[in-house]
Amino acid sequence: MDAEIYIDNNSFIHRLDPRVKIIIFLLTFVAILLFQNPLWMLPIAVLILAQLVISGALVNMRRIRYILIVLTVSSMVLWNLFATGETQLFWRISAESLSFAVARTMLMILMISAGMILITSTRNEELVNGMIRLGMPYRVGFAISTALRLVPTIVSSTITISQAQRSRGLDLESGNLLDRVKKFLPLLVPVFISTIRSTNIFGMALESKGFGARDKRTFYLVFQMNTADYVVLAFATVFMLASIYLAILGYGQIEGLIRF
Amino acid sequence: MSEPVVSIRDLSYRYRGQRTFALEGINLTLNRGEFMMLMGPSEAGKSTLAATINGLIPHFHLGKLSGDVEVMDRNTRDFSVAQMAEIVGMVFQDFEAQLFSTNVELEVAFGPENFAVPREEIKVRIDENLNYVGLDAFRNRPPSTLSGGQKQKLAIASVLALKPQVLVMDEPTTDLDPISKMGVFEITHRLCKREDLTLLMVEHETEEALFADRIALIKEGQLVKIGPTREILCDVDLLESLGVMPLGIPKLFKAAGVPDLPLTPDEGVEKFTVSGLKINDLAYQQMVDEEKAALQLKDAPLIQCEHLCHTYKGEVEALKDVSLEIHRGEMVAIIGQNGSGKTTLAKHFNGLLLPTEGEIFVNGKPTRDQGIFKLGQSVGYVFQNPDHQIFSEKVFDEVAFSPRLRKFSEEEVNQRVAEALEAVGLTGQEEEDPFTLTKSGRQRVAVAAVLASNPDVLILDEPTTGLDYREQRSMMNMVRRLNENGSTIIFITHHMWVVAEYAKRAFVMKDGDIILEGTTREVFSEGDILRDAFLRPPHFVEFSYRLGYTFLTPEEMIACLEGVHN
Repeated sequence: MDAEIYIDNNSFIHRLDPRVKIIIFLLTFVAILLFQNPLWMLPIAVLILAQLVISGALVNMRRIRYILIVLTVSSMVLWNLFATGETQLFWRISAESLSFAVARTMLMILMISAGMILITSTRNEELVNGMIRLGMPYRVGFAISTALRLVPTIVSSTITISQAQRSRGLDLESGNLLDRVKKFLPLLVPVFISTIRSTNIFGMALESKGFGARDKRTFYLVFQMNTADYVVLAFATVFMLASIYLAILGYGQIEGLIRF
Repeated sequence: MSEPVVSIRDLSYRYRGQRTFALEGINLTLNRGEFMMLMGPSEAGKSTLAATINGLIPHFHLGKLSGDVEVMDRNTRDFSVAQMAEIVGMVFQDFEAQLFSTNVELEVAFGPENFAVPREEIKVRIDENLNYVGLDAFRNRPPSTLSGGQKQKLAIASVLALKPQVLVMDEPTTDLDPISKMGVFEITHRLCKREDLTLLMVEHETEEALFADRIALIKEGQLVKIGPTREILCDVDLLESLGVMPLGIPKLFKAAGVPDLPLTPDEGVEKFTVSGLKINDLAYQQMVDEEKAALQLKDAPLIQCEHLCHTYKGEVEALKDVSLEIHRGEMVAIIGQNGSGKTTLAKHFNGLLLPTEGEIFVNGKPTRDQGIFKLGQSVGYVFQNPDHQIFSEKVFDEVAFSPRLRKFSEEEVNQRVAEALEAVGLTGQEEEDPFTLTKSGRQRVAVAAVLASNPDVLILDEPTTGLDYREQRSMMNMVRRLNENGSTIIFITHHMWVVAEYAKRAFVMKDGDIILEGTTREVFSEGDILRDAFLRPPHFVEFSYRLGYTFLTPEEMIACLEGVHN
């Protein structure tokens, strides 16, 4: 079904060990948070963009483009209002607050991108398995994977339900805001109920296949770190250390920025 | 020789918050290697009984349990569901919700992984079981890309990988199309030959019960009768009174007063000759002629498709050059496998989908110009799963939803709701919460909700799926009444007997095209084309072919029968 997030296209990133991908994901988060200045965020942004292209995650980013646009617009407005600086440009906007807003927006989009790269290129089981091998308890890992698994199910039942209600005369495109919100009730209730029903069966099926029967379980999936994994990991570590060093030296901040 | 594997003693069970017992005083023993079929009407306690065997009751569903269930000397009270999983495998009806992996191999590996089976052994079990169910070629595919039947086969493989002693299947084929049903049944036919595996199956398809060793009939939580397959299936009246579909062949011979009822088409043909029964050709011809004459009286078509094509996302060709006409007052069936284009076609009738090529006219105007909001008033569409549309807390509000959206006066709304509820037989239940109704009740609410906008045409997508025989009959009788009162009915179904008994005309679809159309009798007389579309006529129809006729129901044949001993 096309509601699936994982894209099976066996790219270079797909072939990396999931543990390496999880570590890079975490490192990326830190790297994004280090600098305040958008110019200094460019290197990590370029790296993430490259990963988006290689892994094929751009397709998924396109799917959520509306959310991204809303986030971008609102963040550009809000951060300009919550910060100011010496170089006044127009109205309440200064050069400093503008670049700060750009940086915050980049931060958000980059974090989403990093997450998207991870789940586009890593199967659910690989992700859970990787997390467990990095020390997370099995049940927690499984819960995360189940949550991810629910997304496509909910999307596809929403499509059917909205067709059913439109056949009965529900028109989602007209009316004022309040009207429209009310109109979502006929969609939400059935989506909710059918999700609960299927989750219940899911739980039964899970136990019926012996989930948690033994304290120890085996894993059919095995990973092996290859040369590529080591190279990528080494590069990420070096990049990271360099970034932290520069940040400690005080580079990458916005001079004259005043935050409220 | 008969070694008990499952023993149930004095079992009673009540769900939490319920006053009545879901199971009462059940005593049942399953022997090693046996295949038992559990049959009965909806809500009789079939699934509840199935769920007690691997301990889902009392561990997963909370409630009050008395009596004992023991499987291989393990009392389900003392072992968790997960611990029971080693010896009892369970396959559920819902093929979507019971799979959780993103890859076929990993799905099969999941069970053995939980029991810490070594990796090499898991690999062996994956190969063995995928091969057994015929999914070898799909081993690296995500289960979400499989068809319903393949998903159910995968569920079976993933349970077999635990090497259980007992396999419980709770309506494994109810939601499947005919070809997928056949695929799953083909596996159960092999499984029931295995000496080491005890099989308990809940199923509505009586023709499949022929493969079972014994049948247990259950009603209102109590076992009514357990006996050898032949004995139970010959008791046509008992089955009918329990809301279980009896086989057509014994039904016919019973009505003809022949002793020692035959069950299968082979037996039937033999018995027919031996008993000296004969078909009155004149009466048969008259019936066929009357049927044709009735279809001659046609006015302008209500729905007309001209070279209709539909391609999803510019890639998947779901409909290829479909042309058809449906007239006012008709009752037609659309049959075919999932993916053959039935639903895609039906969604064009009310404007949910627009053709990518070709044209479709409803009431003489292209649907493109009418829009779904307007078209929805004259063409009602009841979706397959009533739970995909019910959202109100009261039956009344649910049915009033559509008329209210169309801004009718409160008086008019009341009247329409009253009429719609009367048509579906739910008068007096206006204040009920639809979610507390049974599946068949919810299905009726969904139909009423669509009827309330007074459509000329009613499209029903699999209206009988998930209902028991009696509910299916009463649903279709209701639909027939609507048709007699002037509604044009188009229904999609996988139940061949429903087509045989209720449709006047039928369209057979395959790969996005209509490969056969005609009166229901004409369609059913083309056994080879039907089989080519993987549609299997009921045993009874097949039996009538062998006699050189096409009879759709036992009643028809009885009416044309000569030499009846009375």
